[in-house]
Amino acid sequence: MSRESFLSRVRQAAQAGSAYRVHLHPVPPEIGYVGAAGDLCDRMAEEVDAVGGKAFRVPDLLAARELLATLLEEAAAKSALCWEHDVLDRMGLREFLQSRGVVRHSYESLSQHDFPAQRADMLACDIGISSVDCAIAETGTLMVCSRPGQERVASLLPPMHVAIVERQQIVPDLIDAFALLHQRGLDKLPSNIALITGPSKTGDIELQLTTGVHGPKHWRVILVG
Amino acid sequence: MPKTDYIRETHHEFLEASADALTNPGLQQILGRLGDSLGKKNREAWEQLPNSDLVRERARTIKDETLAELDTHLETLEKSVLSRGGKVYFADDGEEACRQVIDIIQAKGAKKVVKSKSMTTEEIHLNHALEVLGIETVETDLGEYIIQLAGHRPSHIVGPALHLSAKEVAEILSKPAGESLPVEREVLAGFARKQLRMNFAQADVGISGVNFAIAETGTIVLISNEGNARLTTALPKTHIAIMGMEKVIPKLADLPYFLKVLARAATGQKLSCYTSLITGARRDGELDGAEDFHLIILDNGRSKILGSPLRESLFCIRCGACLNACPIYRSIGGHAYGGVYAGPIGAVLTPLYDGLAANKHLPHASSLCGACQAACPVKIQIPDMLIQLREQMHHEPALKSRLESLAYRMWAMTLRRPWMYRLGSWLASRTLGWWKRKDRWLKRLPGKLHGWTQKRDFPAPAPTRFRDWWDNEGKQP
Repeated sequence: MSRESFLSRVRQAAQAGSAYRVHLHPVPPEIGYVGAAGDLCDRMAEEVDAVGGKAFRVPDLLAARELLATLLEEAAAKSALCWEHDVLDRMGLREFLQSRGVVRHSYESLSQHDFPAQRADMLACDIGISSVDCAIAETGTLMVCSRPGQERVASLLPPMHVAIVERQQIVPDLIDAFALLHQRGLDKLPSNIALITGPSKTGDIELQLTTGVHGPKHWRVILVG
Repeated sequence: MPKTDYIRETHHEFLEASADALTNPGLQQILGRLGDSLGKKNREAWEQLPNSDLVRERARTIKDETLAELDTHLETLEKSVLSRGGKVYFADDGEEACRQVIDIIQAKGAKKVVKSKSMTTEEIHLNHALEVLGIETVETDLGEYIIQLAGHRPSHIVGPALHLSAKEVAEILSKPAGESLPVEREVLAGFARKQLRMNFAQADVGISGVNFAIAETGTIVLISNEGNARLTTALPKTHIAIMGMEKVIPKLADLPYFLKVLARAATGQKLSCYTSLITGARRDGELDGAEDFHLIILDNGRSKILGSPLRESLFCIRCGACLNACPIYRSIGGHAYGGVYAGPIGAVLTPLYDGLAANKHLPHASSLCGACQAACPVKIQIPDMLIQLREQMHHEPALKSRLESLAYRMWAMTLRRPWMYRLGSWLASRTLGWWKRKDRWLKRLPGKLHGWTQKRDFPAPAPTRFRDWWDNEGKQP
């Protein structure tokens, strides 16, 4: 009952309120699109650094793997929470982590455990390794969509998040990222899409910047190509 | 220590609270940063958005068009959420919304709730409703966590603990820590992270607000810099989201324009660190995310506003830019206002949600300088609305001051009779004007009129009236 009376009240109010609609100027459709001039990889790297992350440029996936070794050391990583993703497969992440003695937690291993064990594993990981659905050069943003094998917690729980991004995954503007979602079809929208722009931050103590309050304190983006 | 949990009902208490705030050096130092460092960041971020004024205009247009057919968009939103397995509830007021939340929690047999920052839950006093039933409720935004421990109300829409110094924060967090924590931000944040992680891992239910709800897809959008909104929706098995009904936007393609203006206005970022788009519960095979999703759509006085000349106040996207821009807010902080929402937009929203009678002071808690409107990412005409509220007060006899009415009646009588006006001005210039011809300011008016001179000086009339000067000297070429 409450639903019907709620909606009919809103309907009446919306009609009555139409008398007070504001005076508006038509806005051309291209307004709001900023884009990124020049090389998208360069711009992405610049913006990632500007928001408090660290970007690395490497020529290929082999070099990305070598770089990852230094990040594993920096994070003193004993265990890693990993996406299952084409880019990570081509990079040979599984074998690489094995060779470095880092325990790899991924969909395959996690889904064999019951819920409490699964949760404990996720919470204990030292580093999260993912790729992206796309990256946005103008703002230095990563767009990650959730799917089985591409957990939202990989970019969230560990103190360090590393994303491996290939050149062709980068788009110029936020509006391009939304166009990509439209292309895939709105009925296929994943349960969670996160736009990540920087390490976890807060200004809650005296308006001064403090990093790493809930999400990763260390945010690393490896740009390939 | 200023009063931090107190609804001020009369103008005089508001003045007292303001005077307290003005003499609190710690608060003044923090408020000063709003204009200096944050203001600079805001300006730089806007400069990097070409035609930013038109982008704001577009966001404003979308809000206006949506409100014109709000019922249709809410029905579409409901259908989209249902089709993805979520549940939708309509709540007429705060009490009903609280009851719906409690019913969901009790049906799950849940004991522990984590919350990400939400002004709407603050508005309906949800925490209190949960606590009296023994449901443990933990705020997870760092600022909210701090003020929950201290028992304070939020003093800013975006930075709820803005009124506290690092030293005070250290004292507050030292209690649950069981040891004296140092006054170092990193250590304090680190302690909160550890405590709150534990709570996230144990909680059965996560409660969040809603920044935007997209009708065509049933998606809710949450924005945070800390990541607590992501944790609140990723770890507990049940997710309850509570939205004011004006938060709906029609299309996914509308969202980027709001995202582009919101963070710039709020914190001077191009985008906040985390923007989450949540569409229903987790899908088959996923290992994280809530297993069930509930959306509560709240009216609580909004439909009354929607049908009124003040409907534009429903455009508000809760960025806090008007607070940061306001010379009054920047002088007295949030608590002096006395309502849930502080600052210029709070001075409009609080009387609308909560009644003018209890908030007579708020429409006057502004110099009408217009800085709020200039800062607003959706260009809400706040000064105009404050003037309209002042006008409304004069149509409600109960809210009128009798002395003020008498004064205006006498003034009107005088203006209708030129001889009376002439006599009055002659008397004033020959008495007051003559006595005060050297120091032209009156420090104190007699009797009740001192209310005006309490905070400002009154200019004395000139010793020579303009009409006398004109007759004697002025009209000669």
